[in-house]
Amino acid sequence: MTDTRIPAARTRAARPAAAAVRRPARERGTRLLAAVFLAPTVVGIVVFTVVPIIGSVVLSLFRWNVIDAPGFAGAANYREVFSDATVLVSFRNTLVFMIFAVAAQLLIALALALTLNGRMPGWLRSVFRSAFFFPLVLSAASVSVVMKYLFNQDFGVVNWLIGVFGVAPVPWLTSEHGAMATVILVYVWQQFGFSFLLFVGGLNNIPKEIHEAAALDGATGLRKHLAVTLPLLSPTLLVASVVGIINALQVFEQPYVLTDGGPGDSTRTVVMVIYEKAFEQLRFGEASAVGVLLFVLIMAVTAVQFRLSRRFVHYQ
Amino acid sequence: MTDSLFSRRALLRYGAYGAGAAALAGTAASWDRLTGADIPGRDDGSLVVATLGSAFAPAGVRALVDGFRTLHPDIKLRINAVQAVDWSDFFAKILTQIAAGTAPDLVYVATEGVQLFARHLGVPLDRWVRRDAAELREYFADVHPSLVESMMYEGSLYQLPIEFNAADMYLNTRVLRRAGADFPAADWTRDDFTALLRRMKQASDSRFTPYFWTNRLWGGVVPWLFANGTNLLAESKAPGGSWLWDAFYPAQRRQGRGGGFRWTTPQATADGVVEAYDYLAALVRDGLCTRPEGGNGQNLIGVFSTGRVGVTPAGGFWAGGLHLAGMRADGFDVQYFPRRHTQRHQFGAAGYALLRTSKQQDAAWEFIKYSARRDTLSRLFTTNQTTPARRSMLTAARYRETGPAHWRVFYDTLDRFPDTGPIPAPPQVAEVTQVLLKHTGTALASPRSVGPALRRMQGDLERAMERDV
Repeated sequence: MTDTRIPAARTRAARPAAAAVRRPARERGTRLLAAVFLAPTVVGIVVFTVVPIIGSVVLSLFRWNVIDAPGFAGAANYREVFSDATVLVSFRNTLVFMIFAVAAQLLIALALALTLNGRMPGWLRSVFRSAFFFPLVLSAASVSVVMKYLFNQDFGVVNWLIGVFGVAPVPWLTSEHGAMATVILVYVWQQFGFSFLLFVGGLNNIPKEIHEAAALDGATGLRKHLAVTLPLLSPTLLVASVVGIINALQVFEQPYVLTDGGPGDSTRTVVMVIYEKAFEQLRFGEASAVGVLLFVLIMAVTAVQFRLSRRFVHYQ
Repeated sequence: MTDSLFSRRALLRYGAYGAGAAALAGTAASWDRLTGADIPGRDDGSLVVATLGSAFAPAGVRALVDGFRTLHPDIKLRINAVQAVDWSDFFAKILTQIAAGTAPDLVYVATEGVQLFARHLGVPLDRWVRRDAAELREYFADVHPSLVESMMYEGSLYQLPIEFNAADMYLNTRVLRRAGADFPAADWTRDDFTALLRRMKQASDSRFTPYFWTNRLWGGVVPWLFANGTNLLAESKAPGGSWLWDAFYPAQRRQGRGGGFRWTTPQATADGVVEAYDYLAALVRDGLCTRPEGGNGQNLIGVFSTGRVGVTPAGGFWAGGLHLAGMRADGFDVQYFPRRHTQRHQFGAAGYALLRTSKQQDAAWEFIKYSARRDTLSRLFTTNQTTPARRSMLTAARYRETGPAHWRVFYDTLDRFPDTGPIPAPPQVAEVTQVLLKHTGTALASPRSVGPALRRMQGDLERAMERDV
């Protein structure tokens, strides 16, 4: 690997020359203007993202129950968290949820986007686009409350409908595997619209000439999509998967409302554990420790994605 | 070394940045923490009372405020109706306010939070109760000692109960008629209850489930444990409290009373507990009852009023709920919870807790007294959304429109079964509840799951109770 560092001797030698050439006033003005425009965003990020992250890390080193003064705990909260079976199960559940939910979300969104990208009247395409995007604008909590009624084992509409065809009632929310599958189903139903919209935009950006050239070379149907569409759509796929994974790792509303983490711990997710530890059990230090671990996990997964993207993502 | 990454000047520059940042951080850390109360106009000197938003009707709250202003024009009152789906959610929001530095002076606290608040936040009301004993004599004469005792912690009184709900058994009279069954007797047994469920099942279609229950601390598994003469945690009574019992209750009614309940050693694997779970698992297996569902039974009113459920445990609060859902007064009725080894019932009560952080404690006490007055409660509880703690308020006129016919059961539960007690709610209640709900869900997956799930519950409860919250 080439050493790209600049030897100090060279930088020292270059500095007087650089200092001699003063930046023109216009350039300084441009820089100032850029700083002014960036300031609100930077301040927002610092106040609402950086400071809470630092605060969370600091709080994870203290015992605090809101009511009494916090006391320094060192790494005790982390030791407690690592020995807590519920926390470990919640990380496993969250990873399982993330894998299945994101895969389903991307596959469904991609399939629908490709279908809509084919020949279809414009008005019909608009109707479908709106319909697929609509669940995303609904409140996740409200959707989950309605779904809870629909999937109720004893009185739900879904079991009533399948009962018409002679199928026995399914424990959608009251069996361990059924509950996780139902939570994923509800989440994907609501979330795939975002990926779908990204894919529609990505597909529209692929020049028609490339498809025409591929057709002339004999690529049609699935082969055309695999050899031409997917590679050209890979930057969009990267964005959709990064956002999808980050959102999935922070899932809360659906399992909280649909199953309250049950049966047992089968649908308890990391963010649910953070909420329960903080606001129900008054262990804010431990909750922050779990939050820090989730932060590290999200950073690690995202870093891996970007690392892999160098190999699999193609930019035109 | 000549091939360095940073020049001396760069090093000095970054050093200066670091020192500046450290100075800023130090300055910020030395300031008193800014809280929500520092926002101009936020702390206007009002006596702030936090209530569970859905507990009182808006008209009732208005009447509450107007009545207090008339009585105490010098005290500025603000009701903060916190919207929450259940008590746990309510406490979470109150804690957020406390963390934000905008703690209310008074908080409406149910049994679930009595000991948690008493231990960390509450002020004992003993000195005011002693001071105003003459004024309060009429109140205590009207309120059952079991309710008062449930609001005591380690010998001191922390709240005056103004409402309660015991877990009695609601029956859909249409379903009873369909099954050709009589209304059960007051001393019915668990076997009678099972036979009734079987009869209801036989007389209905496949969409009907005889018994519905919700997996929660109040009205879930716990009433079945009480009927088995056991509890989730070993129960005893704290010493003390005679200052109150001797002052307000005659010898016969104060017998056996102490300084409040103590819930200590977990006993999830005790025979009585295992037997109760085995029974419920068998009901689920035989299709006689629903799987334990989490939450607060929001869909229960719909399925009960339409005859898709025959029996469910509920308190006086449900009379108003069913009436509002369009059920006729004779469409349902209520009976005591069935007997097994005992017929001890469980209840939850609520009242106002005074917070230590309050700067207006005397004014807050005036509000507590005012809130427990009969005329105040009559204005507040107009729709039978709960059972008033005052016996004199339970009259035929109150239940004429809403039903049920056996409305006397609501208060007589306390008189007829004097050992009736509160749900187990130690200061570690949040974790205890979570453990209970979690393992109840898995225990009732099948009759074979009961033993392993209860062993895990026992271990988790032991860890929860070891924690000092």
